[in-house]
Amino acid sequence: MKIGINAEIAFTYLISRKRQTMVAALGVTFGISMFIFMNSIITGTNEYFEKATLSTIPHIRLYRDNETCNTDMLNRYTGKKTINLIGNPQLVPNDNRFYNPQAVINQLLLTKEVTEISMQVTANVIYSFGTVQQNGTVYGVNILEQDKMFDIASTMISGKVKDLDKSVDGIMIGAGLAKKLGVKAGDRIRLAGFNGISKMLRVVGIYQTTIKSIDDTKTYVNIPVVQQLLLRDRNYITDIYVNIHDNSKSPAVAAKFAKITGYTAEAWQIANQQSLAARKIRDIIANAMIMAILVVAGFGIYNILNMVIYEKIKEIAILKATGFAGKQIVSVFIYQALLIGIFGSLLGLALGWGISLAVSKIYIGLGNVNYLPMSFYIKHYIQGLLFGIVTAFFAGYVPSVKASKVDPVKIIRG
Amino acid sequence: MTLKAQHINKYFYDPIKFQVLNDVSFEINQGEFVSVMGKSGCGKSTLLYVLSTMDTDYEGHVELNGMGVTGKNQNELAMFRNKYLGFVFQFHYLLPDFTCLKNVMIPALRLKQYSYKEVEQRAYEKLRILDVGDQALKIAAKISGGQQQRVAIARALINDPAIIMGDEPTGNLDSKNTANVFDIFMRLTKEFKQTIITVTHDYDFAKRSDRIIEMVDGKIITNN
Repeated sequence: MKIGINAEIAFTYLISRKRQTMVAALGVTFGISMFIFMNSIITGTNEYFEKATLSTIPHIRLYRDNETCNTDMLNRYTGKKTINLIGNPQLVPNDNRFYNPQAVINQLLLTKEVTEISMQVTANVIYSFGTVQQNGTVYGVNILEQDKMFDIASTMISGKVKDLDKSVDGIMIGAGLAKKLGVKAGDRIRLAGFNGISKMLRVVGIYQTTIKSIDDTKTYVNIPVVQQLLLRDRNYITDIYVNIHDNSKSPAVAAKFAKITGYTAEAWQIANQQSLAARKIRDIIANAMIMAILVVAGFGIYNILNMVIYEKIKEIAILKATGFAGKQIVSVFIYQALLIGIFGSLLGLALGWGISLAVSKIYIGLGNVNYLPMSFYIKHYIQGLLFGIVTAFFAGYVPSVKASKVDPVKIIRG
Repeated sequence: MTLKAQHINKYFYDPIKFQVLNDVSFEINQGEFVSVMGKSGCGKSTLLYVLSTMDTDYEGHVELNGMGVTGKNQNELAMFRNKYLGFVFQFHYLLPDFTCLKNVMIPALRLKQYSYKEVEQRAYEKLRILDVGDQALKIAAKISGGQQQRVAIARALINDPAIIMGDEPTGNLDSKNTANVFDIFMRLTKEFKQTIITVTHDYDFAKRSDRIIEMVDGKIITNN
């Protein structure tokens, strides 16, 4: 005896009514293929935008924020003889720099989460080439560290990342800025800071991220160049960028870093809440659609099983007369539902995969999105199969119980 | 004593309260072939379904094959029917999507007393006894009415039940097939010592059985 008699009866019923079985299974197939497709596109999109976001901002940014004044200084000055209160506390402006940034970096390197660290200092400047001028922000960085963090090398369309590291007066500019100023690699452009200081720098490389706001304004130079533009010392650092192993844990790690270093640490999720909100909304839309489709598929199974039971009511009665107990009748029909569910789900997985593959070839070509970003994760396919089977089970349960309650006497006596 | 019914009372409540069985008591011995006769509505079928354990809504006490079945739960009763009772109805109630062989095998597969191979062997044997061995692999819906009824009898016999119950088993058969079924029943009681109780309208059929129980208005009036 390979399979139980209940399963055998269930199987025979399905085989002897191929068309109805197919219709029920196709309901599940479409549901599950939509499940796969929606999950693939939503996850693919989320990952794509996350990657795009993290190609320009770090997982955690450390900086010094203005602080609200407190009574510490007052206590130090007047001693503890009196209780000191500040009636109207204000933000105290400071020059937003790190004191001894190398010490902060050393502290961070002791933690096990950190993968990359890069310190930098930025300044708003006016770029000019000949008579053409453009506003923008110059980033003083160790370009090799930043490259590890953001993979700048892959965006270079002219020159090499290394060239900037080697030249004292080099500058790497975005493709949009290069076009607006009309410069090419090797030209010299002037950067003017807002305090009257200006520097002539030689374009050593041009990059293109396809994010317009960056390509049009952002330039990279070595750290001392910006420090000189701002008339600051060689220790003047305003930001420390940190990447960690698991970027989804950024908020917690940021809180930890803030505690260790005493500076403000901002996780990328906090800096990009609008993109997280968009992601959440996408998830909700997708889940609502999937649920709706699965419910429809479930009703399909429910309907067909109800019909089968109506047609087979005499057979159910005779099975009960010859000794099938209620739970065995239930299992006959649950088996049918599950077989429909498994068959339909497997077809759905294949169809979903096919649709996802086909859609991933659709060319979009807007901004930095070339093709529809689709993801292919085995996890989604396992979930899809489970969802299909669970839906089939619940859809089959109600009619099965109904079948088990058939009173053989009523049916046989007519 | 294979079958013992004591003081069976049963009421129908729809549309009004109505007593269908009125203090029915009787006994049947092993190997006896008993016919229950009576006019339509006299309660003979109702009595049969009470004895079949499928109808549990009655007063009184029923003992089958030496076991009291009154008050047992549905699962126990299903198992009991599977092992000890065989049913033959006016209509064959075969599962039309299955082969005749599978139809006969299903109650035995449910009982799980024999292996699949043995069950198959036994089912063939029963079909051969009933002279439909050559129809074994045909789909049940595709054989003649007389053959279907014989397959249904084979199904009733597959677990070697102590008691076979018939509700108009020959009601749909012509005289040749009726005679055939009667002979089979006779053989079962005489050769295999199985007990048969059958409800029938057919007086010719009934008068050749061992005993006729005649009912009127829910009461037994003759029992010999």
